[in-house]
Amino acid sequence: MTFSEKFQKTTDVKHWLGDMEVDHFLYTAGIAGEAFFVALRDKGVILGTRCELCGITYVPPRIYCEHCFAELNEYTDVGLRGRVRSFTIARLGKDGNELKKPEIFAVIDFGSGTTGLLHKLGEVTPETVKVGLDVEAVLKPKSQRGGHITDIEYFRPVG
Amino acid sequence: MNNRDVAVLGVGYTNFNSVTPEVNWKELMFEAAQKAYQDAGIDPRTDVDSFITCAEDFWEGFSIFDEFTPDQLGAALRPMHTVSGDGLQGLANAYMQIKTGLFDIVVVEAHSKISELLTYEDVVQLSFDPIYEAPLSKGVHPYYVGGLEMREYLEATGTTEEQCAAVVVQNKRNAFCNPLAEFEAQLEVDDVMNSRYAFDPLKALEIAPRADGAIVFVIAGGEIARSLTDRPVYVEGIGWCSESPWIGSRSSDAAYVKRAAQMAYRQAGIENPQLIDIVEVDDQFAFKALQHLEALGLARPGEAGYLMAEGAFGPQGQRAVNPSGGSLGCGHLMEASGLARALEGVLQLRGEAGPRQVEDALVGVAQSWRGLPHGTGAVAIFSRRE
Ligand SMILES: [Zn+2]
Repeated sequence: MTFSEKFQKTTDVKHWLGDMEVDHFLYTAGIAGEAFFVALRDKGVILGTRCELCGITYVPPRIYCEHCFAELNEYTDVGLRGRVRSFTIARLGKDGNELKKPEIFAVIDFGSGTTGLLHKLGEVTPETVKVGLDVEAVLKPKSQRGGHITDIEYFRPVG
Repeated sequence: MNNRDVAVLGVGYTNFNSVTPEVNWKELMFEAAQKAYQDAGIDPRTDVDSFITCAEDFWEGFSIFDEFTPDQLGAALRPMHTVSGDGLQGLANAYMQIKTGLFDIVVVEAHSKISELLTYEDVVQLSFDPIYEAPLSKGVHPYYVGGLEMREYLEATGTTEEQCAAVVVQNKRNAFCNPLAEFEAQLEVDDVMNSRYAFDPLKALEIAPRADGAIVFVIAGGEIARSLTDRPVYVEGIGWCSESPWIGSRSSDAAYVKRAAQMAYRQAGIENPQLIDIVEVDDQFAFKALQHLEALGLARPGEAGYLMAEGAFGPQGQRAVNPSGGSLGCGHLMEASGLARALEGVLQLRGEAGPRQVEDALVGVAQSWRGLPHGTGAVAIFSRRE
């Protein structure tokens, strides 16, 4: 080693600041994604694909079963109601600082035998949210839906 | 399968530090490589048949990273490839190259220079599904998925938050006896319980801090290792697998470790994992250590937390778990974390673990998890055969 002292910061020595310019890429929705997002935008429904052999409904839909490798083409409307399988209260932002308002994320099941959908919870507080909570999707008005996962604004407790 | 056995001939490593401004990443690799070749008693320019690095372009800050790896390993104009995965996955590649008889001596390297990545959270966020998952959490720290997975594990097993906190206490305490580690601390369970929630129920203190460092393993056919060293440590089995990348489809029992362990145990002829003496599990989040211990078959579902809190996995317990301090004590070394776990196993089995030496250790297991938001794990079994 040529340095005799111990540096505490990476900026104390000769360095270069670089950028990884990767913020422009086009992601194709694909066969299942097209079906899912068009149905969400135009009809306000959440679709899954069903593997009869394994008894699993994939939400969002996929054209293949991860268990038996079958090709899946049976689309099914799983409804807008689900149940919280897991949740977390995210208190930190990407910069590591406290968020002004914590956000609640959840994995939501649509009946037994479905895979979970990752989304946000709303109209619920850190004190009242719990595993097993029955929730329903709150969709944006049709005119504002563009075929994105955020066309679902969040899930809220039923009733 | 080929009956040739596979052994660790040498290991080299740097300290693990939160920052390393004195050297660049190639020089970090060079330091670990020099030490490994000295430890193995070999010359890389003439004795090594194949070289493997384990790295992911985004951690390194530039693309097609693998083209930049030969010189500092002594690997110029030699067979060389990069595994885009954890160091134990690289070790699996070396194991196969030797087992097949294609090569006699193979080098595996993994490192972290993560202190140079100024937008770590953005890069983690970029590894979320860009259509279904990433758009939901713009501006939120991506480790929230750790909170989701922890809650599901606690619900499924009845494990408590206090039991998870005990992992932090033990691993940061163990790190006092590891000169490589930088994140040692004297904490009590209450200190962790009273610390702030980051992603409930996950607390900030339960998340391993990141660190820089490099580790190099020299792997050889058993007959070569026996001729060159009187303390070979054998790789008795190695397994790896990946589960669904969908966050909503993830198992709550670390199925990626269960399957990888089955594969490694089968190769090693281990029918009862309770016979393993030294255990190094991935603990990037405190609860993961408990989940991984259960997936390895070293505790029944829901029992690892109880055993941890009782001290059964401590230095005086029935089985030493993460005597190195783990990632909570040594720092998370990105793709080098699995090799850090394996390094501790090798040092322990050689009897070179200093103040943390576990007496009469014969068999060790090292386990890795590639980290959020994904489900890839690897398991390696080591023994000194006596
Ligand atoms: Zn199926």
